[in-house]
Amino acid sequence: MVAADTGGTFTDVAVYDATQGRVSYGKTLTNYTDLVEGALAGLESTGVKLDQTLLFKHGTTHVINTFIQRSGAKTALVATRGFRDTLEIGRGNRPVPFALEYRRDPPLVPRDLRFEVGERIDAHGAVIEPLDTAGLTQLAETFRRDGIGAIAISFINAYANPAHEEQAVALLRSLLPDAYVTSGTLLTREWFEYERTSTAAANAYVGARMGSYITGFDARLRERGFGGSFYMMGSNGGVLSSTRSIEQPVALVESGPIGGCIGAAAYARALDEPRLIAFDMGGTTAKCALVQDGHFDVQPVYYIGGYDHGFPLRTPVLDIVEVGAGGGSIAAVDARGRLSVGPRSAGSEPGPVAFGRGGVEPTVTDANLVLGRIGGGAFMQGRLALDRDAAARAIRERVSAPLGYDGAGGVDSAAQGILDLATTTMAGAIREITIERGHDVREFKLFVFGGGGPLFASFLARSLNIPEVIVPPHPGNFSTLGMLIAGARIDLSRTVVLEAVQGALPTLAAAYAGLEDTARRTMHAELGTNAVTFERMLEMRYRGQKHTVAVPYGADASIGALLQSFETIYQRRYGNINPNCAVEILGARLGAEAQIPCPELTQMAGGAGEAAPGATVAHERRSVYFPAPHGRIEVPVYARDALPIGHAIDGPAVIEEYSATTVLMPGDRARVGKLGEIVIRCSP
Amino acid sequence: MNAAVLAPQPAPSSEPRLANNLRHGFDPITLEIIRHDLVSIPNQIDKNITRTAFSPLINEYKDYAVGIVDAEGRLISQSRGSLLIFVANALGTAVRDGIALHGAQTLVDGDVLISNHAGTLGQHLNNVVMYTPIRVGAERRLAGFFCVLMHWIDVGGSMVGSCTSTTTTEIFQEGIQFRSVRLFRAGERLPDMFRMIEYNTRFPDMLMGDVEAQIAGCFMGRDMVAAIADKHGLPTLEAAVHAMWDDAEAASRAAIRAAKPGVYEAFAFLDNDGLNLDKTVPIGIRVRIGDERIAVDFSGVSEQLPGPLNAGRNGGAVAAARIAVKYMLSPNDPVNEGDFRCLDVEIPDGKFLSARPNAPIGGSGNMIPTVVDTVLRAMAEAFPDRVAAAHHGTYGVHSFHGISPATGESFFHLDTLCGGWGGSAGMDGYGPSRSNVHGDTSDVPVEMQEAFHPYRFESYALRPDSGGPGEFRGGVGIVKTYRITGPCRINLKIERTKCPPWGLLGGGEGKTAEVEIRRANRNVDGGHDRNGSGDVLKVFKGDHPLDAGDQVVIRSGGGGGFGPAWKRDLAAVARDLATSCVSRAAAEHDYGVVTRDDGSIDNAATQALRQRMAQGEGT
Repeated sequence: MVAADTGGTFTDVAVYDATQGRVSYGKTLTNYTDLVEGALAGLESTGVKLDQTLLFKHGTTHVINTFIQRSGAKTALVATRGFRDTLEIGRGNRPVPFALEYRRDPPLVPRDLRFEVGERIDAHGAVIEPLDTAGLTQLAETFRRDGIGAIAISFINAYANPAHEEQAVALLRSLLPDAYVTSGTLLTREWFEYERTSTAAANAYVGARMGSYITGFDARLRERGFGGSFYMMGSNGGVLSSTRSIEQPVALVESGPIGGCIGAAAYARALDEPRLIAFDMGGTTAKCALVQDGHFDVQPVYYIGGYDHGFPLRTPVLDIVEVGAGGGSIAAVDARGRLSVGPRSAGSEPGPVAFGRGGVEPTVTDANLVLGRIGGGAFMQGRLALDRDAAARAIRERVSAPLGYDGAGGVDSAAQGILDLATTTMAGAIREITIERGHDVREFKLFVFGGGGPLFASFLARSLNIPEVIVPPHPGNFSTLGMLIAGARIDLSRTVVLEAVQGALPTLAAAYAGLEDTARRTMHAELGTNAVTFERMLEMRYRGQKHTVAVPYGADASIGALLQSFETIYQRRYGNINPNCAVEILGARLGAEAQIPCPELTQMAGGAGEAAPGATVAHERRSVYFPAPHGRIEVPVYARDALPIGHAIDGPAVIEEYSATTVLMPGDRARVGKLGEIVIRCSP
Repeated sequence: MNAAVLAPQPAPSSEPRLANNLRHGFDPITLEIIRHDLVSIPNQIDKNITRTAFSPLINEYKDYAVGIVDAEGRLISQSRGSLLIFVANALGTAVRDGIALHGAQTLVDGDVLISNHAGTLGQHLNNVVMYTPIRVGAERRLAGFFCVLMHWIDVGGSMVGSCTSTTTTEIFQEGIQFRSVRLFRAGERLPDMFRMIEYNTRFPDMLMGDVEAQIAGCFMGRDMVAAIADKHGLPTLEAAVHAMWDDAEAASRAAIRAAKPGVYEAFAFLDNDGLNLDKTVPIGIRVRIGDERIAVDFSGVSEQLPGPLNAGRNGGAVAAARIAVKYMLSPNDPVNEGDFRCLDVEIPDGKFLSARPNAPIGGSGNMIPTVVDTVLRAMAEAFPDRVAAAHHGTYGVHSFHGISPATGESFFHLDTLCGGWGGSAGMDGYGPSRSNVHGDTSDVPVEMQEAFHPYRFESYALRPDSGGPGEFRGGVGIVKTYRITGPCRINLKIERTKCPPWGLLGGGEGKTAEVEIRRANRNVDGGHDRNGSGDVLKVFKGDHPLDAGDQVVIRSGGGGGFGPAWKRDLAAVARDLATSCVSRAAAEHDYGVVTRDDGSIDNAATQALRQRMAQGEGT
């Protein structure tokens, strides 16, 4: 069983050997000229045999890169007459204040490739004007003549009745068999014409290219003897068959960060943790997501290029907040004497100063090295020697001196300042995903991974008053590991707009019957399974509110019970209820999941539990700087592999492993849990 | 307060702030961390309010602002998505009045006050500032106030929506006033006040829901700021705040130093005040730049108007000057009080931008885009690289109201226009988007409107040829065509139709807004709206009845062009033609670009025509 994740810098591979119950990892630099070859090279480094592989899961940044580099197909849009400019007008907002130079990213489809056709459906789904098939046939002729290979169709109110879109898709596909044809309601059944049109346009824009990528990947695996099933990693946390991936490539837009969250959710269930913040810190950015009751939140709208300038996709994407703070984030003092850390990153080229590869600006990694938080051999198992003196010099010259931190402790203070500022940025991201979404951050535990996560965990937890931190085994490879355990998942939803009264029940039942039938048929086609579990959530709100709360829906629920659970959830989230206000049901959401074979978490614990007696002593003592009032302390350094389950360590201490370093602050108490995870209790 | 000058607060910070920090003995990194937190807190509360508020006016259109002010009402930070018009520090203005009325010491933990007082804020009465003191430490020292300003959907008055009438003649027709009255005392709700609000609005359910979101935002934000003070100590917090202000001041001074000093003037005018439709409203602006200060002198604007196109000093002159200055001096830094230390605002009492407390001010915001445009125009010569030609320049209010066929209850759908923005040195104008005093203000989707309101859209499209011609073309406006499906009314407040969005440095004017109501087949009772079948009513203001079958067409203005149009790059004109943003006729007439019937550009004819245009310009 193989998971391969092609990222911006590295291609990571995780292989689970079911016969021996072992997981092994491989890593190569991403090969941009031949992405498939890059992934296969990573695979070879693990020694896996493709002809013995049953399951291959693949995550890629290919879709998002196509958008960001604007390298997709020449795409046409077919809209309802009067609405070809929806894509350009958007919502008319200016998220960036005071900037006369503000410009939104131009639409993927320019105006001369946006066409209109006669048809109209009203808000209730009634046909006001039939689809002008003759006009559409003429358009097809234009597309053929102009060599347009990608076509998006999006009609007003199609969410209420997709018949015209379905008709138009069928007609264009029959007239233009080589073109990639998609529509808004093929991807989402929710209202809001701009968001749906934008999604359709984006899907067409990447469709043809992803089609050949996926088909090509699959073919080359089979050339090498692979006879198993090939799946793509979706942004909603489930895998998709290659057929469905080609139909809806926008569903793959954020397949990168998803793996870690799947892993975090699996640990949350195994450890019976109701509320976790999954926190992933890599080289360039830090990301966080919430895992509640073993599930992560999925957000219905995602902005390519960010909310300020980008365009929306209505596709379920893990609800994640990302900030520009990673190991490579650069610390700089501006002309006004203000220190900043990130979002600029030294990346892997030239990398931090300590890498000795030409980097001159100090980074977060340099600060960690100077303060003794990481050792000189922390990267690539020591193959990349870190130059501590160069890092200290850069911090002294570029941060300590301009800020006026003189004397012996000046570099330490400045380095700590760099980490403090990075911590502030990351804490801001965690506040955003909790407070802005109506949660109390103190009720969560922090679950950290990524190369940098365990270094900052204790500091972050303290700054947010989070009492407990969990560091899973292999935090540096956690994302691909998460992909290994991903099941298949389909998220479907439909806008309904009903008042929550008795008469709404038949409509809901019919909506779910339709959604479940679609999900069941898809799963059967993809996995050959009928063992599908459903999670039904209604989006409910007080009439007029924008945001809805998700209320579980059972097929036999009464209106009274629904209203009661709505109020309970609302009260918990917002602290008050409005008993006089009418309640509406805005949408029916269905999450359908099917299991596919995957490793057990206990098999991923690595060496934990196998340690010889006596191996738990520190193999080194090292001077590590801790923020005031502590200063420098000689602390023990442990090898994580050597720590058996149940072993406890009091901070201050450092725990090292292949892919990451965990720092315990004075007062922390760490214990190795039953799955090899390190649990840190942070006493303030 | 004649010809008052806005608190100059001379804190000359020519010496670098770094020295300042060291002098006070505060750690610069800690100050930076606090600054991050102070800037992000209002943004976090902002998002929380979007989630919890009830009216689409708040949760989709986002007509509100969240901010922190210090114990003297000085702006520390404000949410990024807030409407720009609130940076006049409406928040701090309300707080200062509350302190003057009550005394700071009586404002205790858990007090919540509201103010929409016209004499204080000078904005229409729908804009209600709510604030709560932030007290910290064992001594409960006053660290500042957490404030949330919201546009309340209705506060009574003669017309649904309160600020909507274009014919009021005194403030008392525009709703109820609250002048820093308590909603909570020491954490306890005062039910009398809630009832008072509930029975002075046409939409109690929606408004009371919004008010709850406003209250929750105040308390949550207060606790977050207090946590910073508790962690670092109040003196450190205050030092960080002063560092923010000093920095902002230094940035704006640096920008002024880079500008060409001098006295600059500009003139524009508004269509009318809503009552006297033929009488335009002059806006004469004088800007003095020099000595690291900017003075905006509004002495040349119209006297106070009989109709509701007035604003008080803080909501009028001060707001407009602050917005314009922020656009020019330091647009990319988060806004705070320090941005405005180098600004002097001069205006005598009794002008339409410094109206007296009882003046009608329902349209207090509607004219600010044009005033800001005019101030920017006055600064154009001093900041040639930064300034842009005029934008469409109006809120363009076109609100539908009546009974919702979906809910059977009355609805009020406030909508405003997106239009074109002006071209600038090196860039075509942007658009369509809202006015220069709006912020992250989003259209309510067509599909959502159609689900609840008695009309359908026949189109919502770009408006060709509406952008002012120029080497850098003005952005285009839009055309919305509605088909009415049941009885309802439309409330219009569309401005800037007589003084088109101007171009700069030889650029042409953008088109102005237009409204047509095309009657279907019956007479409609509505005062002067007695039009028969097929009649077309052209209007910009007022409240008009509609019936099934009527068609309403609304066109918004385009932005002004920058530089002579005949200099426009041929490839850019070709793209304008391909995208139909410029018609063939306009390409020839405005840009001197001659095309053949197959759409290709006739280079010889174009060159000749452009030469003639260039010479014509020289004479």
